[in-house]
Formats: sequence, structure tokens, C-alpha cells
Amino acid sequence: MSAIKLTNINKFFGHKASRVHVLRDINFTAEAGELSLVIGPSGSGKSTFLTIAGGLQTPNSGQVELDQQPLYALTAKQRDNLRLNKIGFILQAYNLLPYLTVREQFSLAERVKKQGNLTSSALETLLEQLGIAEFQHQYPAELSGGQKQRVAIARALYTNPEIVLADEPTAALDSERVKEVGQLLADLAKSQHKAIVVVTHDLRLRDYADQVYEILDGKISKTA
Amino acid sequence: MFLALKEIKHEKLRYSLIIAMIVLISYLIFILTSLALGLARENTNAIESWNIQRIALSQDANVSLSQSLLTKQQVPAKLSGHEAYIGQVPVVAKASGEPKTSAQFIGLQSQQFIAKNMQLAAGHKPTTNQEVVVDTSFKNAGYHLGQKIRLSSTSQQFKIVGFINNAKINIAPIVYGTLTAWRSLKNVGPNLVASAIVSQTSHFSQKNDDLKYYSTKQFINKLPGYSAQNSTFAFMIGFLMIISLIVIAVFLYILTVQKLQNYAVLRAQGIPAKTLVGATISQAMILVISGLIIGTALTALTALAMPANVPMTFDLPILGAVALGLVVTGIIGALFPTRMILRVDPVSVIGG
Repeated sequence: MSAIKLTNINKFFGHKASRVHVLRDINFTAEAGELSLVIGPSGSGKSTFLTIAGGLQTPNSGQVELDQQPLYALTAKQRDNLRLNKIGFILQAYNLLPYLTVREQFSLAERVKKQGNLTSSALETLLEQLGIAEFQHQYPAELSGGQKQRVAIARALYTNPEIVLADEPTAALDSERVKEVGQLLADLAKSQHKAIVVVTHDLRLRDYADQVYEILDGKISKTA
Repeated sequence: MFLALKEIKHEKLRYSLIIAMIVLISYLIFILTSLALGLARENTNAIESWNIQRIALSQDANVSLSQSLLTKQQVPAKLSGHEAYIGQVPVVAKASGEPKTSAQFIGLQSQQFIAKNMQLAAGHKPTTNQEVVVDTSFKNAGYHLGQKIRLSSTSQQFKIVGFINNAKINIAPIVYGTLTAWRSLKNVGPNLVASAIVSQTSHFSQKNDDLKYYSTKQFINKLPGYSAQNSTFAFMIGFLMIISLIVIAVFLYILTVQKLQNYAVLRAQGIPAKTLVGATISQAMILVISGLIIGTALTALTALAMPANVPMTFDLPILGAVALGLVVTGIIGALFPTRMILRVDPVSVIGG
């Protein structure tokens, strides 16, 4: 059973002469337990693909299903709730709240989503896996770009989502950390049976992916 | 509240400056309100102490006590126990070795309710036409019981036999004496009875075209300068309220603009907009309430340090209402940036 399924997705921006066909008949599935990589050059439609898959942007046509539930049949509030409970976002612009310590970054989600989050010990393990356990009481301004990105990854995983959508999660990481994050995402997919979809330029992540797709000029294709 | 408190704690300088602005505004509003109230009360203290409902003045006096003169023919032959004559004349009180004091002489008839109900702070009520009871501000200025004073340019001397609290009309202290003394000071003949008749009942009236009747409120509002002074203060306080609203709204707006990217990420994660709006409104509340607490403390210190002759009244219920008004202003100010939060687009933080 697919955790996330996009069927015949089309997305346009602009009107009339300036209309751009960003996504063309996209068909995509991500299975639980798999790390799917969506690669493509800038402007290929990767980010639009991710926002539509995450219920943040409505396609012009086609359907997105999460756990066989049509995503865009839900109200905005229901989609908020679904994102909070089932989807974790890892974003290129990590945008950690500057006035919260690393540990406190998880508190807000905890206050909104009361159940089903990682336990303290599971969070501790995750922070150790990401190499940021020692920074728990520091503020984002005291962290390097790579450390911030790892906190953002931990934040996305804290709510224990079934699906993780990541936008260039390794953009600010050195090669060593890329390997660690790639391995971590692959392990999470396997060990915790999560569907992880990563859109990226970073071909170094190919080694960890179960499925690799390429988006080019709005069209998606599976690569070997 | 969690986000609001964490942010304020982390950005101490930034938020201290905002709180400092609110402290200054609230302090200024409290002081102006107290001053407005103090001045208003100095206009009306005596009238309120008389506990009257209605006042009769001569037809052509234009609601001015000092312009009103009632003759024997204009007044009823006999007043009931709820009515009293008052005769008013502005005077300058002077005594050797004491500063001159501008005052209002109010002549009363000892058998009528105002004189009978008079509560003195010290001494006794006048028993002769040469005795007067004066406002305690005379005492504060150095006058004492038994002291002889002259009023205006008359050669007649009056003896202070009592002090009375809060006896002020038109911001001037009152010298209470007899109606006979009033006639003498006003330099009018025996045919003139008083300046006005005041009544404890709201239905007091006589069939007499020479008299005009006013409610106490109408009379007070027509006291010279009273309405203009109150309107001036009301406008100042109103403008300060608007300024405080703008200050809060602008600060929160700028702070919110800086946080929109973060809010977009939180919205992408499914954090409801109401949580973020709640954080902004709580933040405004914390800032305003903190500012008000400090502003109130400063006002209390000012009240303790203020000399007695400064016409300020620190009325807790009224200052409480003003504080509540500022809290409401803070909430309204916080509502402006919430529109931005509600419209934040999570898509804006993905890609690029």
C-alpha cells in the first residue's frame, strides 16, 4: 500500500501568455519503508512537487492520496492536522525559532500534538544519531549551518510522522554529514517503516535511496 | 504563551525597550488622568459635598453663579428643609504674614441644610457674621484657627473659626460665611437675598419667570472653563491611547514581519495559525501588562511624592478603567499583525 500517491498531477503558474506548465502529468508513489529521491536541476518543479505532495499547494488537476485518503478533498484545517500528525517536513531554509533552544524546538509541536511524539529516550537517541545531543541547550545562533540543519531534521522527525518530505536536506552539510544524514534517512525508512521523499540536487544521496526519480521540465521519470 | 514568554526572555533588550515605551505612555496617561480628575474635582468638590440635585439662578445669569442675583420678590416666601440659599462672591483673602489667596466666598444661612450638614475638619461653624470656615488649603498655606483675615478690599475682618476639607469650587478654595457677610462683600442691599437657591430634590421649581432651574450636572458643565478643561484632557488621553495603539501595532508588526519565515515553517509543519496568533496576542498582553505594572508603580511613587497643593486625584477605579482601556488597546494593536500570520504561505519557505 502506497503511503503517498500522486496521480496525473498538473500544475500551472501564471495566466495566458505568461502561463507556465510546471508539473506535467506527474505519477508518483512512495512506499512505507522506502527512501525515494527526486532529483532535478533548479526550476525543474521539484519544490512544487514537494508542496503538492505535502498538501501545501493545490494542483490544477490530478489527485494526491495519503494513506489512500484524497488529500485535497480535505479542508485546510484538516490538512493542517494531517501534516501535524502524519507528515514531517525538512526544509532547506531550516528556520529554527531563534529564541528556543534545540531542546525547546520540539516543545511547540508537543504542545499542539499531545500524543504519538517521540519519547524522551527516543529523542535522545535521535539527537545522538544526528550528532547534536550535546547542543540541546544551545540556541540556533550558536550552531553552525550543518548543526542547524540536523536540528531541523530532528524537529521534523519528533512528531514521529509516517511520511517525511525533505527539501534539500543536505544543502548545508559537508560530505561526512551527508553520508550520516543519508544513512539516517535510509535507516529511518527501514527501521521505522516511514515513507521518506527527498527532493535534492545532491547526487551523493543516491547511494542511500531505494527509488530515484528525476524531474525535468515538469516531467517525472524513474531512473535506474 | 509559551512562545511569547520564550521570545521575550531571549530578546530582553528588544522587549525591554517596547515595555519602556508602554511604561512611559501608561505613566503619562495615568498622570494626565489623575490631573484631569484632580482639576475636575477642584471645580466640583463643594457642589458634590452639598449633595444637591437642582439649582435655581436668575433668568439672565447664563448659568453663572457669579452673575446671578435673586431679589426678595423673586424667591419664595419660605424655603422647605430641602432648599438653601447660597450667595457667592469671588474674594482675595489676606492676613498679615500670610500669602494672599484667591478664594470664593459662599454665604449660607445657618438654619439651612448646607450649613447644617457641613462636616468640619477642625473648629466650629460660624456663629456671627464675622466668622468664617475656610478650606483646609488655607491651613496648608499657613493660616490657623482664630486668625483674622480680610477679604478683598473691605476693611472688615473675619475670624477663621473652622477648617473644612475639599471645599473648592472652580479650583478656588471656599470661605464659608453668612449671607449677611456675603451681602456686605458683594456690596448689595438687603433686598438681594442670595445668588442661587439649591435643592436636594430633583423636582424643585417655583412658578417664577425670573428664575431658571438647572440640574447639578448642567450647572457643573457650565462652570467657567470646566467643560473646555475636561475636553482638553479627554483629547490628550484619547490621543495617547491612539499613540499607544500605534506603538504596539507597529512594534508587533515589525517583529512579526521578521518572524514570518519561521511562522511559514511552523505552518508547513501543521502548527495551527491560531497557535501563532495566540502567541502574538499573548505577547502583546505580556508587554502591555508589564508596562502597566511598572507605570502603575511609578504613578504610585509620584502620588506619594506629589505636594498636596498639586490638583491630582489618584482614583483607583478610574485608573483601573484606564489600565483596562490600555489592555484593550494592546489587544487591538496585536490584531493588526495577526492578519499577516493568517495569510502566511508555507510554500514560501520551500524551494528557492
